[in-house]
Amino acid sequence: MSDMTEGIVFEGVWKEFVRGELHDSLRDLVPALTRRLLGRGGRGRRKGAFWALSDVSFDVRPGETLGIIGPNGAGKSTILKLLTRILRPTHGHCAVHGRIGALIEIAAGFHPDLTGRENIFLQGAIMGMKRREIAARFDEIVAFSGMEDFIDTPVKRYSSGMNARLGFSIAAHMDPDVLLIDEVLAVGDYMFQDKAFARIHEMARSGRPVVVVSHQLDRIATLCNKALLLNRGRVLRAGTPEECIAAYVFDRPKAPVDDAVPVSLDSITLVSEDTIRSGEHVTFRIAGRLGTGAMPEDLEPVCVVVRALHNGQIVYASNSVYCGLDLGDAGPFTVEVALQLNLPPGGYAVETNTYSRKLDSVVGEGPSLYVTVVEGATFWGTAQLNAQMALVAPADPSPSGASRT
Amino acid sequence: MTAEPSPVPVARRSLLADAAEIGTDLWDYRDLLYQLTLRDIRIRYKQAVMGFGWAILMPVLIIGAGALVRYAMAYLGGGTFDRTDVAGITVKALPWAFFIGAINFGTTSLVSNANLVTKIYFPREVLPLSATIAQAFDTMVGALAVAIMLPLLGVRLTAELLWVPLLAVQLLLFTGAVALFLSVANLFFRDVKYLVQVVLTFGIFFTPVFFEPAMFGPAGAQLMMLNPLAPVLEGLRLAVVEGHNLLLPLTTTGGSGDTVVVWSPWYLAYTGLWSLGGLLGSALVFHRLEFVFAEYV
Repeated sequence: MSDMTEGIVFEGVWKEFVRGELHDSLRDLVPALTRRLLGRGGRGRRKGAFWALSDVSFDVRPGETLGIIGPNGAGKSTILKLLTRILRPTHGHCAVHGRIGALIEIAAGFHPDLTGRENIFLQGAIMGMKRREIAARFDEIVAFSGMEDFIDTPVKRYSSGMNARLGFSIAAHMDPDVLLIDEVLAVGDYMFQDKAFARIHEMARSGRPVVVVSHQLDRIATLCNKALLLNRGRVLRAGTPEECIAAYVFDRPKAPVDDAVPVSLDSITLVSEDTIRSGEHVTFRIAGRLGTGAMPEDLEPVCVVVRALHNGQIVYASNSVYCGLDLGDAGPFTVEVALQLNLPPGGYAVETNTYSRKLDSVVGEGPSLYVTVVEGATFWGTAQLNAQMALVAPADPSPSGASRT
Repeated sequence: MTAEPSPVPVARRSLLADAAEIGTDLWDYRDLLYQLTLRDIRIRYKQAVMGFGWAILMPVLIIGAGALVRYAMAYLGGGTFDRTDVAGITVKALPWAFFIGAINFGTTSLVSNANLVTKIYFPREVLPLSATIAQAFDTMVGALAVAIMLPLLGVRLTAELLWVPLLAVQLLLFTGAVALFLSVANLFFRDVKYLVQVVLTFGIFFTPVFFEPAMFGPAGAQLMMLNPLAPVLEGLRLAVVEGHNLLLPLTTTGGSGDTVVVWSPWYLAYTGLWSLGGLLGSALVFHRLEFVFAEYV
């Protein structure tokens, strides 16, 4: 793989960081050097050192878009800093072939006292663009940002949204061989976000290798054709975006079960097939046990939550109280839940828990189940609204007819 | 759990390869060097009441202080103090003001641009170098003022003025070398900038700005000329004010009758060595440490 002359190669990369302060003044250096000279400092790991990345490997070839997801501190930004050569790996090999375009910290080089125009040239140069190149695309950059009226105003008078829009426009108009994107999918107002996303999509589809880091999982799902799930510097999963997002959302840490809650949920099973066509009815069985303690007011003992795995959002939640179910006396119970999955195709998690309305929080986590919804009904979007269409008689042409267009 | 890898020996790179890499990096990012220099100049003059007055304030203060000291020395020693002496101080005040300005801005250049250093890749050499070049621009403005002043101080136009560009290049290279080195030092040790301020404040007494090395006798003169800046400053004074050809040695007779070497052509080579060697050395140190900047800044 290392003989690849295109794209991005990341092979067995380890990166060590040191927690806390490094010795920062000459005054601190003298005792540190003395210790080292006397051989008491030791040549082992530095104090407070930890691995920000442990044995991470991947490659991105032309035409591939890699999405990196994971919780904060997983090492996503460290990977981007290694790719952009800001950091060097402690061990391993990292290579990027060609000019890097980074939609990262897109306004970092702005100087508040300079005008938008001056900052376009400055920021462009910092990103590695040539002056002639910036001059040639200047009008395009300004038009994309929509800031024609403020281009000769010092940037310190800009709102943060204007700042980010201008920064994005500059970065989006360079012509890189490799594109790196970090959390800039939420720039400006929603109209600009759509425009920016369309631009990124266009850049990604032009065949260059792309790496995207984002917490917007649905954007990752749309943009990427492969993904990496990281946690604490390790690769938990590498595969399709759907797989990684599912693993990320599905394996999230469970809230500890409160012993005082007199309900435990032990298992969930699917009665019907586990491949479900959109719009079909499915039945689950949830088995649990009711304790002998008094059932607190405002407790919803059996809750069912359906979560879309491509973005982690809850698409539906209900519970035994809403459904008017009485669990009866203390002892084991089995509840049958029927759901009509009026959902677009994709992966979903069916989660169970016990919820306290009084505490406004989940007080007991139950088991979850993974289901796949496949193409069934003909609709597009996030919910099945069962459109009905029929041909009716033409509208009454008389002027008194109350018709709206 | 993956086992921690054993340290891999890092391939040793040749100094020549490093030097070539610095060269190509800087060439690739020459537009950035230009833009950062422009930024430094623009923000210095934007919203500044004095505008270009800043460019001559420092040299004027140095000339004033120098004239005061030299007047007192002449009065006590029974010597003379005329406008040629003022011209000598004027010619040397400007490069000295350049040096301290460039070193001040250069030393803090990496730390004050920490947001760039930690977030965006570019050859970090451009930060101290653009600080140095921006200061050079200031000095050019000051040089215009000096060019107008010198005829009034009785300085005549000679062919020896042609030495000025060479001395200016030596000064620029040497200053760039010191700025590169100190910017790295200040990144790792934050108290370096205070140390630099103290050294620059008192440096004027160890550099022939107010004085001429010959005033310190044969040994004193040679000792003072060891300062890499001394040949530049004295060379400027001798070439511009005295109209001396720097390829020829110059001696004078001291107070106690002994011969004092005022100038030797070797001084040019001495400072040239400092400039080129210093620049190469500090650029290599800078380049070798560059990749950990983002972790320490």
